[in-house]
Amino acid sequence: MEAKPETEKKEKNWEPKILAFLCRWCSYAGADLTGSSRISYPANVRILRVPCSGRVNPLFILKTLRSGMDGILVSGCHPGDCHYTAGNYNARRKFAILSRLLEYVGIDPRRVQFSWVSASERDKFAKVVSAVVADVKALGPNELFQLPDFGQMTKGPTSPDP
Amino acid sequence: MSEIIPEVSKDGLLDLGKKLFDERRVDYFLGYKKGTVRFKTIPLIARKGEDLQELWVEDFFHANLSLYLKEIKGRVGILAKGCDSRSLVSLIKEGQIKREDLYIVGIPCAGQVDPGKAAKAASCEPEELEEIIRRNQEFVIRANGQEKTLSKTQVLLDKCLFCQYPRPLIFDSLLTGDYVAPVSPVARAQDDLRQKPVSEKWAFWSGQFERCIRCYACRNVCPACFCPRCIVEENMPQWVSPLPAEGDNFVFHLMRLLHVAGTCVSCGECQRVCPVEIPLMKLNEKMTDDLRELFDFVAGVDLEKALPFRTYRQEDPQDFIR
Repeated sequence: MEAKPETEKKEKNWEPKILAFLCRWCSYAGADLTGSSRISYPANVRILRVPCSGRVNPLFILKTLRSGMDGILVSGCHPGDCHYTAGNYNARRKFAILSRLLEYVGIDPRRVQFSWVSASERDKFAKVVSAVVADVKALGPNELFQLPDFGQMTKGPTSPDP
Repeated sequence: MSEIIPEVSKDGLLDLGKKLFDERRVDYFLGYKKGTVRFKTIPLIARKGEDLQELWVEDFFHANLSLYLKEIKGRVGILAKGCDSRSLVSLIKEGQIKREDLYIVGIPCAGQVDPGKAAKAASCEPEELEEIIRRNQEFVIRANGQEKTLSKTQVLLDKCLFCQYPRPLIFDSLLTGDYVAPVSPVARAQDDLRQKPVSEKWAFWSGQFERCIRCYACRNVCPACFCPRCIVEENMPQWVSPLPAEGDNFVFHLMRLLHVAGTCVSCGECQRVCPVEIPLMKLNEKMTDDLRELFDFVAGVDLEKALPFRTYRQEDPQDFIR
């Protein structure tokens, strides 16, 4: 199933959209510090603050992919630094299985990435975001799924692929 | 487990069941009875001793009866093949049932027949099969008045060829019989797809997910799928659209897989009931292999070991994290 053309995403100056789930205690504060230290990083990333990386249900990641985001970054505290003691350890297990499964069904692992960024690692945050953006740019737009055509849906449930 | 194994004969099973009802040890007894479809049985849910008259334990018990423990509350007597006993272990660990509420009767299983596969091997339609007879190491298939001899590998369900647990892991009594794997267990063939590049994997799976009609048979038949309200039916927020669009099918199948991770014992029911024949076991096997490799966890074999997502180790692999 190759990319479906003729979307505006194919335009020359296409920029990827990346959703970042950042842990409230470490990575979000790290992102904040990056900004207030005036270190620049690509503006492709949309930040969603979560209480803990353990809050990120794999379902969020699947749903984000399904809704057409080009890349996903999940970032939390380093192991041992979790505000809730073990949230990131539990998250790590879920993500380990999820990332292997995604790879197995044919989603490039570079689309869904994970990182540990602490509140003081302003340079690491900028580096991680730039790396993710570069990876996703190399992969091209997420055209895994054709989003439902809502005009058609009003006529009744027909095949999603006209 | 005690040294003395309380064995019961096939005739004794009926008496045992009745005794359990009489002594009020169980409120229900789950077994198999003959249905209207050949080469298949349907579950028998006995509510009193007399209902057990229909009990049938000769052959063709594909169904994993632990599924019905989702709905039945109370003390239950249940028949369990070796593989089904793993589901019971899993459900006990998940806190869905209590061991003391169960009276488990282990049944010997010489491998379950897959009529579709047998028909294919005998080059006829499944409806044309007249008889499937077990003979020591092979099967005799009668179809269209002709007899054909087929090997076990041509007739049995795929999962039975790799049977590792022919003998139930937990039980209160065992039916007499041989508790050996139908064929000497060989290592499961390595799934070729795993070695292929990502784009080919996507080509394969998007072709599979595209065909899904979202009947949810795989979910309904799964003993490990026990959420009272499934995410696919939630509409505030709506995680997955009910429309069988490819993207939503993808979310549904992966989410189903992640929800049963650690509980799934590869009983193969989901693939057996799939009307469009999506090879769901490929996904399940991949997930079970990953759990074994990453967290050294095998579902349904150990009542003590913590579930993989209820625990963690500091040295868990994290090479995928930046």
